[in-house]
Amino acid sequence: MVIQKEKKSCGQVVEEWKEFVWNPRTHQFMGRTGTSWAFILLFYLVFYGFLTAMFTLTMWVMLQTVSDHTPKYQDRLATPGLMIRPKTENLDVIVNVSDTESWDQHVQKLNKFLEPYNDSIQAQKNDVCRPGRYYEQPDNGVLNYPKRACQFNRTQLGNCSGIGDSTHYGYSTGQPCVFIKMNRVINFYAGANQSMNVTCAGKRDEDAENLGNFVMFPANGNIDLMYFPYYGKKFHVNYTQPLVAVKFLNVTPNVEVNVECRINAANIATDDERDKFAGRVAFKLRINKT
Amino acid sequence: MGRGAGREYSPAATTAENGGGKKKQKEKELDELKKEVAMDDHKLSLDELGRKYQVDLSKGLTNQRAQDVLARDGPNALTPPPTTPEWVKFCRQLFGGFSILLWIGAILCFLAYGIQAAMEDEPSNDNLYLGVVLAAVVIVTGCFSYYQEAKSSKIMDSFKNMVPQQALVIREGEKMQINAEEVVVGDLVEVKGGDRVPADLRIISSHGCKVDNSSLTGESEPQTRSPEFTHENPLETRNICFFSTNCVEGTARGIVIATGDRTVMGRIATLASGLEVGRTPIAMEIEHFIQLITGVAVFLGVSFFVLSLILGYSWLEAVIFLIGIIVANVPEGLLATVTVCLTLTAKRMARKNCLVKNLEAVETLGSTSTICSDKTGTLTQNRMTVAHMWFDNQIHEADTTEDQSGATFDKRSPTWTALSRIAGLCNRAVFKAGQENISVSKRDTAGDASESALLKCIELSCGSVRKMRDRNPKVAEIPFNSTNKYQLSIHEREDSPQSHVLVMKGAPERILDRCSTILVQGKEIPLDKEMQDAFQNAYMELGGLGERVLGFCQLNLPSGKFPRGFKFDTDELNFPTEKLCFVGLMSMIDPPRAAVPDAVGKCRSAGIKVIMVTGDHPITAKAIAKGVGIISEGNETVEDIAARLNIPMSQVNPREAKACVVHGSDLKDMTSEQLDEILKNHTEIVFARTSPQQKLIIVEGCQRQGAIVAVTGDGVNDSPALKKADIGIAMGISGSDVSKQAADMILLDDNFASIVTGVEEGRLIFDNLKKSIAYTLTSNIPEITPFLLFIIANIPLPLGTVTILCIDLGTDMVPAISLAYEAAESDIMKRQPRNSQTDKLVNERLISMAYGQIGMIQALGGFFTYFVILAENGFLPSRLLGIRLDWDDRTMNDLEDSYGQEWTYEQRKVVEFTCHTAFFASIVVVQWADLIICKTRRNSVFQQGMKNKILIFGLLEETALAAFLSYCPGMGVALRMYPLKVTWWFCAFPYSLLIFIYDEVRKLILRRYPGGWVEKETYY
Repeated sequence: MVIQKEKKSCGQVVEEWKEFVWNPRTHQFMGRTGTSWAFILLFYLVFYGFLTAMFTLTMWVMLQTVSDHTPKYQDRLATPGLMIRPKTENLDVIVNVSDTESWDQHVQKLNKFLEPYNDSIQAQKNDVCRPGRYYEQPDNGVLNYPKRACQFNRTQLGNCSGIGDSTHYGYSTGQPCVFIKMNRVINFYAGANQSMNVTCAGKRDEDAENLGNFVMFPANGNIDLMYFPYYGKKFHVNYTQPLVAVKFLNVTPNVEVNVECRINAANIATDDERDKFAGRVAFKLRINKT
Repeated sequence: MGRGAGREYSPAATTAENGGGKKKQKEKELDELKKEVAMDDHKLSLDELGRKYQVDLSKGLTNQRAQDVLARDGPNALTPPPTTPEWVKFCRQLFGGFSILLWIGAILCFLAYGIQAAMEDEPSNDNLYLGVVLAAVVIVTGCFSYYQEAKSSKIMDSFKNMVPQQALVIREGEKMQINAEEVVVGDLVEVKGGDRVPADLRIISSHGCKVDNSSLTGESEPQTRSPEFTHENPLETRNICFFSTNCVEGTARGIVIATGDRTVMGRIATLASGLEVGRTPIAMEIEHFIQLITGVAVFLGVSFFVLSLILGYSWLEAVIFLIGIIVANVPEGLLATVTVCLTLTAKRMARKNCLVKNLEAVETLGSTSTICSDKTGTLTQNRMTVAHMWFDNQIHEADTTEDQSGATFDKRSPTWTALSRIAGLCNRAVFKAGQENISVSKRDTAGDASESALLKCIELSCGSVRKMRDRNPKVAEIPFNSTNKYQLSIHEREDSPQSHVLVMKGAPERILDRCSTILVQGKEIPLDKEMQDAFQNAYMELGGLGERVLGFCQLNLPSGKFPRGFKFDTDELNFPTEKLCFVGLMSMIDPPRAAVPDAVGKCRSAGIKVIMVTGDHPITAKAIAKGVGIISEGNETVEDIAARLNIPMSQVNPREAKACVVHGSDLKDMTSEQLDEILKNHTEIVFARTSPQQKLIIVEGCQRQGAIVAVTGDGVNDSPALKKADIGIAMGISGSDVSKQAADMILLDDNFASIVTGVEEGRLIFDNLKKSIAYTLTSNIPEITPFLLFIIANIPLPLGTVTILCIDLGTDMVPAISLAYEAAESDIMKRQPRNSQTDKLVNERLISMAYGQIGMIQALGGFFTYFVILAENGFLPSRLLGIRLDWDDRTMNDLEDSYGQEWTYEQRKVVEFTCHTAFFASIVVVQWADLIICKTRRNSVFQQGMKNKILIFGLLEETALAAFLSYCPGMGVALRMYPLKVTWWFCAFPYSLLIFIYDEVRKLILRRYPGGWVEKETYY
């Protein structure tokens, strides 16, 4: 078939479009009359209304089956992750000793983060538990609620507690404190009844050299079993997460140091290939001194 | 008419003319070519001819002169049409139609990746992969369809006749056998029975020469060639033989007046290659589809671009989203699906003897609304057969069916014995040797078509003719010539040892003139006025049926006067040739093929107009047209009405006549408006005595009416029309190479009925492609909406690129293809051909159904699964809203969920990818229902049944594939797809069920209230 279609001029195209948008002869707007639009819109309104109702119904049914205090599946949380405070961008702790502003925001964050750990608040809300064993509060058929939590006092963090500290957690002197915490996982018995602790080290040999000495609070980076298990946000209202503070004493200045801290516990694997934060945490430390 | 008539031009002039390259010039040439052939060589006397071509009419050209002319004119061969180079064909597959959409998608992906790479430190590779996959899909499908077409063109090539032609020329008085390509203008050429005419010849002497001009004019009867100028029209005159026609018998000498492309045949071939070929209907449909899809994609993309800017995303992010949304709308798998569906149908058609050269032609046949068919060979058997006999004053019908299953007549009459003896004895045709195992009607014979017809008829009804001839040996014979118009032979009689019998056959009126008696019931009675009237009536009646009638008579020579051994002298005629005894008439016709009337009827009920275009005589053409139903019973032409009412033709209202027989010479003088008038007002049209150029005019006329025209043809003369038609159909057995080149499709068995099956397949695939596209497009919505919600609701991405590709190129493929095997819902041959203006492959209603309704249900099914998985892992829906930035932050390794638990990046990503997998599985689940509802467009599934085995396989296959992708170990690393808990498979079930019920209800309303609102808005 020979092509007979001729090129339409620009004006014709515009005309056609105009007529498509509003055709005065047939009173059609975008190819439909008013009634036609009304019908189709009404149809879709009803149709989507029905679909929304159906979706809401199925969601409601689903939410009924979900328990309030433990999620149905936890298999993806077999290994709790480790994280540092202050949480900085890209996990780089960079301290310009002379430049107050570079670490001031870290200090602010830490102040806020450590506030619930104040001894007074802890004493007011939480129990003193026996160290070295799990603080289990089973339901035994009746809902035991809310659950009690053990005290973790800010003073336990020693030089890193920031109480009466003029060095601002060491940031102003180039001996910063970094706090390490382990992710909460409901009903997870960390350590499998054996004591556990956090250790830190330079990632490579030169990092280890540059890292220098550090001290940990509580001593040895111990995490006590009494803070486990966790019973969930709703039941374990005042739960206080145990912390380990690391104070780096003489980091080689003006060098980037890769630090890795990991937890040593019987039931926490720290060698996951894909998840670099399972049972460990890596961050960069850099102290700039002029 | 510059090209044909004058010899003045030089090749240089021709090239200059063509080299001008102006479009107008070319059009003008084409128009000139369309006009009738004009030449004057046939009017010249022999002397003038000799002078014109500077040739000695007895000795021929000198070798030197021949070489000069050859150098000037070039070889005597048709310039093959410029073949498309293979790489161009390949590129056409790569960049044509649908592929463009995918290429644009791929380019956009690379663009987006480029932006991301420039913007982010660690760009996600999704866009890069997607671009690569899109490009790969186009390339793979392109290669596939290229391979398919290459395969059918290979079959085409096998048709080609590779034997070089030889020609016998006389140069410097010597006969020499040379390659036909070396024949030059002015050469003296000799042709004999069985040869192909090497060039256009002006006959200077001949000996009973007959040529078969059917490949040029379509006329099946061999025509006599002699030096006399008999007709103004060079195609009709006796003294011209045309290039590439066949000499059937006799010998002739002629001067070559044109060679190669300048021959009549060559000019037709040039005409064919000069025609522009338009786009196929399916190509236009796909373009329309692309426009729709692009419209939806751009609309969605731009709205969300604006929305994301309002929501506070940066410009670059918004651009990435825009590209992402546009690309997500590209149905990656559809190109492959459509190609495979068309290929499958092409294969199915090939099995039914329709070989499709171009995949898209598969569907064109389905939208055909007019078929212009040849008569000879396509509608008829191309085999003269005795159809009627008249003896004992009665017309008897002979069996003309291909398999001899037809009616027979009383063979006990002694007149029949006599008639069969004459037909058997006065007959020079013989069967070729070695065909004892072939049924009589299919055997090859040596001899003239009507004699062969008689031979076969007698062989069938009276047994071996050879034995009959042995028992009645021939002693003398006068062969047929055009002055006598009879053929005569004298045989020794087997039933009387001493006497001879004289048998004669010929033109009935001439035979009757020589008779004084007539044989009735074995008794000779005088031929009185009454018997003569009876003869006239029978003759008229048989002639009116378009049949060729022969008369038969005999005379038992008295043994006294003509004893055995008598020397019969055929020059002196020492025996009586008058006062013979008339025996009967036999009439022959090339009968219609058995399946044709049925096929024509099917075409009619399918709303397809069948027009017969033939070079044959109007009467024969009309008779065959009536025989096969092209002119249906009860419909009359203007002439018929005039004859019935006994009024002059001018008084008949042409509107009353539905049928119409148009003579070629009338057509020549018609304006295109008059032709349009005829095509519009008559439903049953026969064009007779048409020339090849006229066929083209007819096709153009039909196309002006908006019809999709299919043209069948076998001769070279048909190739322009074949090319011009929307779908040209060439004949596989009898077709010439040129016609096969020009055609889009080839009928391997030359049978018109095969076209009808082709039409059926074409219509079915159009319906099924609709279903297939509806199915494929539906899953686009559950694929796009996750991304949209990701942008506006800031939730973790519910469905990733990998999983989208798994659906489009994995699980959706087999089910979509299986819809090509779906049986028709109703008798598709009982409805009108589709109107290409209103009945689109993909229309707004299909998009509304697929995107607006079914797709939305599917998306909800997927989202439900997504929310279930996240909730069961600790992230309740309320927690998810707005979580996106933290969720995708790699350094955020203590993200808190609804229960106070904390998640590392990798842990929550595993959950996210599990969601992708589950969303994917949910789409598979809802696509089950979609597949089942897409099986039908109007009927309930319960009416249609689940008989499509491929479809059931498709259901199982997609499920198995989804399960494999989810559970196969290592998938978490390879594709980031994770095993699903069993319950998650069932989340989408209610939605799957909803789809099924919703659509069944919709179809129920559709059937209950035809033409109602539901049909107007949702029937695609």
